[in-house]
Amino acid sequence: MNRTQKSAWSNLAVAALYIPVIVWALVRLFVLKSIPEGLERFWPVPVFIIFAVTSIVLMRRKQSPVEVESDERDRLIKYRAVVACFVSVWILLAAATLIPSIVVGVKGSIPIWLLTFINVGVLLITLLVYSVAVLVQYGWGAKDGR
Amino acid sequence: MADDRLSNQVRRLRFENGEMTQQQLADRAGVTRQTIIAIEAGKYAPSLPLAFRIAHAFGVSIDDVFRYEDTDLKPGR
Repeated sequence: MNRTQKSAWSNLAVAALYIPVIVWALVRLFVLKSIPEGLERFWPVPVFIIFAVTSIVLMRRKQSPVEVESDERDRLIKYRAVVACFVSVWILLAAATLIPSIVVGVKGSIPIWLLTFINVGVLLITLLVYSVAVLVQYGWGAKDGR
Repeated sequence: MADDRLSNQVRRLRFENGEMTQQQLADRAGVTRQTIIAIEAGKYAPSLPLAFRIAHAFGVSIDDVFRYEDTDLKPGR
């Protein structure tokens, strides 16, 4: 498994951990009609930073000093994953713009902290799309490596 | 990435060259072992420079490693 695949699995893990948090926050706000107070609002941010920094440190470790880390096929795989990401960003931005106005109405209002959740949500889903696109192209890491 | 019309003799050439490992070929061609695996399995069609590097690694011409079979392709004069 090369660095790109490791990074994709790491992103997938982060997204898998945080998407439920964001979904819960949205359900809490719009369905249960309650607003989190104090530290409950902010704990995902430092945890995300710790996880991201740990992943970056681990990813930077070279598998072998002589082995080639990435080549033309890796670049092509990354390029296609980035294209998938780009398409998903546009779809998500459209959804992030339309859904709040449908839910709370055109003249409704949402709390500022919810924008953070929406932005992080878009980021995480984009990461998820990138990771899945990378892993699918590599054959999920197992089939291709035999 | 893959092209059904492109076939290759990489596996056979590896064994004819002292049972060269995929890693050794990858090092000589300057790519990862995964790329060699994908090429051998016909899942990835390499670029022209990489195809030449692989051929050079075996000391043969590119035609001896890769073959492109297209029935619609008319031979030039």
